[in-house]
Amino acid sequence: MKIFEFCLMALIAAAPAGAVPTGAAGGDTNAAPPAAPAEVPSSPSAPATLPRFIYGTAGEKYPYYAGLPKELLPYNKIEPYERFFITRMPFRGPGRDYPPPPDLKSLRIGLLDSPKYGPNWDRSVRTREGVVLAMEEANRGRQPGDLPFELVEREGMAQWGGAANVTSDLADDKVLGFLGTIDGAEAHVALRVTLKTEIVMINTSDPDPSLTETMIPWLIRVFPDQRLEEAKLAELIVHRFGCRRIAILREGDRYGRLGVHSFMAFARRLGCPAVQELLFKPGGSDIRHQIAAIKDSQPDAIFFIGEPDDIGRFAKQFRQEGIQARFFGTNLLMDDRFLQNAGEAAEGMTITYFFDLARQDPLWGRFVARFKERWGHEPDAYAAYAYDGAQIMINAVQRAGPNRWRIRDQVCNLDFYQGVTGWMQFDAIGNNIAPVPLARFEHGRWVFEPEPEFSPSVAQR
Amino acid sequence: MNTQSAPSVRAIARIVFVCSVLPGFAAAARAATTPADTAALPFPLVERFENFGEKDGLPSHKVHSVLKTKDGKLWLGTNNGLCLHEPDGKFRCYGSKDGLSHPTVLWMAEDPGTGDLWLATMQGLSRFSGGQFTVFTQTNSGLPNNVVYAVAVIDDTIWAATAAGTGAYHLKTKSWNIYDQNNTVMEEPWCYSVAAGNGVVYLGVWAGGIVEHDPKTGSFKAYRDPDGDFQFQLTPDSGPIVDVTSGVAYGDDILWQSTYFGLSRYDTKQATWRTWVQDKTPLVSNFINTVFARGRVAWLATDRGASVTDGTSWVNYLVDENGRGVVRIYRPGQEPETRPMTTALVDGFVTAIWADDHEAWFATSNGVSHGVFSAPTDSPTVASNP
Repeated sequence: MKIFEFCLMALIAAAPAGAVPTGAAGGDTNAAPPAAPAEVPSSPSAPATLPRFIYGTAGEKYPYYAGLPKELLPYNKIEPYERFFITRMPFRGPGRDYPPPPDLKSLRIGLLDSPKYGPNWDRSVRTREGVVLAMEEANRGRQPGDLPFELVEREGMAQWGGAANVTSDLADDKVLGFLGTIDGAEAHVALRVTLKTEIVMINTSDPDPSLTETMIPWLIRVFPDQRLEEAKLAELIVHRFGCRRIAILREGDRYGRLGVHSFMAFARRLGCPAVQELLFKPGGSDIRHQIAAIKDSQPDAIFFIGEPDDIGRFAKQFRQEGIQARFFGTNLLMDDRFLQNAGEAAEGMTITYFFDLARQDPLWGRFVARFKERWGHEPDAYAAYAYDGAQIMINAVQRAGPNRWRIRDQVCNLDFYQGVTGWMQFDAIGNNIAPVPLARFEHGRWVFEPEPEFSPSVAQR
Repeated sequence: MNTQSAPSVRAIARIVFVCSVLPGFAAAARAATTPADTAALPFPLVERFENFGEKDGLPSHKVHSVLKTKDGKLWLGTNNGLCLHEPDGKFRCYGSKDGLSHPTVLWMAEDPGTGDLWLATMQGLSRFSGGQFTVFTQTNSGLPNNVVYAVAVIDDTIWAATAAGTGAYHLKTKSWNIYDQNNTVMEEPWCYSVAAGNGVVYLGVWAGGIVEHDPKTGSFKAYRDPDGDFQFQLTPDSGPIVDVTSGVAYGDDILWQSTYFGLSRYDTKQATWRTWVQDKTPLVSNFINTVFARGRVAWLATDRGASVTDGTSWVNYLVDENGRGVVRIYRPGQEPETRPMTTALVDGFVTAIWADDHEAWFATSNGVSHGVFSAPTDSPTVASNP
């Protein structure tokens, strides 16, 4: 089975007249486009930025279960009656031949922010910075007569279902597509509305694996999800470190519940079911009973899921109680609040993280410089993925024109995209399943584990 | 009114269609060499479609819901208002300026006692009574959330499935109850559908399967995907096909669950499940927007046309690559039969269906189709028990 038909890339996404990219958006505006992998032919008539966008082909087969090893798959010794998510879900409705909205004065792209004062607000601010930078760069590259891009921001509501109201508002705002949001529950609720409003959504920061598993063909996610992170960690803990007694301390909320689900299953399939799974209240401080129970279980590995300030505080308490087990966590721990609260207990913490923020490749380096010039500080992963997500949306609008259904086709048919965060690979349901690297806190700094650089050519092999 | 097939060209849909329907035409060719099967189906067969769209006065291409009320009036919930199909064939439409809470009307239900129309919209629940709208929102009432996906009238209670739980508005006391993750077995409060069962209420819950509620006892029971994973269906006929429910409908002891992964059917008397997926059964598409039940028959609104089934026999209404109507008939133990139709559904992306013994109406993403049934000799009204 041939998985990726590069030779047909972009052919199914022919841009309508007048919607040809201007060259501003779609990547690194101040630099020559990066060399495309040799396997990726570039159409002679296509803009130079096109190799960054590699589209799928009809009927293409995609990696099952995020391409994870068979030993991590559920019921992996039998063939299920039916497998889903192995071909891309089409949108079969009308709309692609609808005329542009009348009296269009701008190309509106929505941004669903997180609620202020909630745990994700800081991440939402950084997300916004990435989106705004991409929009500003795109507008600088517009030609006379081109409609400008316009960002339509809506702040989420700190209540269940609030994102549904806001997403409905975005439809009333006549956005052509939107980005957001961070919280898994909000993203789910927003996604449900998109099926009714038929406005494509690019998620840049929600790690909830189930978000994309709803079969709604109006979504992609550029942000690696918890399943990828936890598969990597489970294999690391069991196979490489040889740990057999894994204890889990997690937040007692939806994030923690969904976050632990995949990890528990992976550990069990590897023959090491968790010896403890204990919860804590976000923001809480007294976990004496959890520590005592975990200590009694004599763990050789502890997996933490929670906000960085909480986990930093608890990691320190574990060490103070004499627990010597190896510490593992998720990307949230790459945060100063974790280091401040954990102190020396941070040493040896191993986490998954999306990419090395200190890496030296030119695409990332130029993005960091532009971002720093615009915002006065360096970007983090949230800002970078938001920038990439906004670039994908901008490119889709430029290629498709102001038609929501054709924009959806552009967004949801992506197989690969090379952004400032690196190469992404999208599966059948729009997940970015590019490998997630490991980072370990050693001698006062995060050290990334060297890995082969991921690119379409590597994936194809 | 347009009785011709949908004229627009949609290349992608056609490619998909050709791939899916070619086997059917092969079967039809085979059927042409054998005597045509005239065995009666356990439900009516649509003979032709009468189509209506924007050119006929609909305010939007997209129609989300369709309902024929007891007084014989046909109502359409569109992306741009509530529309009544007048006897002269014109559409009289109501929007926000008339008091409707939001122009996007996702679902409708009639109060059989009063004739009031209850409307699920993108920004609140509306009641249309005596030509006037009353709006219920999460700020002026006990409605859990303003995005209301479905509504049902069950005895003296209005049930509204919203993005943050199901709200129950008691008409006699004018009081509300909210059912969500705090007081039921729902893991998430995202409700998508609601249907009356035999003394119970069924809630179609996004990522929560189906929740059965007995208002008399206050009890809740969840029906969940037994394999617990979205990526596959481990075994057929073992429970809800998946926990992401797009719709529920109930008739004659049969509960139907529509999903974007296929169809599930629960016989509440026998406590047995059956499931269907497109690749292995006659189901026309896994992507089922809504399900409408009449008796023991389900009418399925899918993204690739409409399916009708009692669980044993199937009829699929498709639109071919040239916009022509095609009907495929599956009878137990027989080869599928494919027939061309004189007319087609106005669009293959069907969002909702309403049917009785005499006619069917199909809401689609590009207008509405009226299904005119064939002669009654081929359409008994009571389905067999599969």
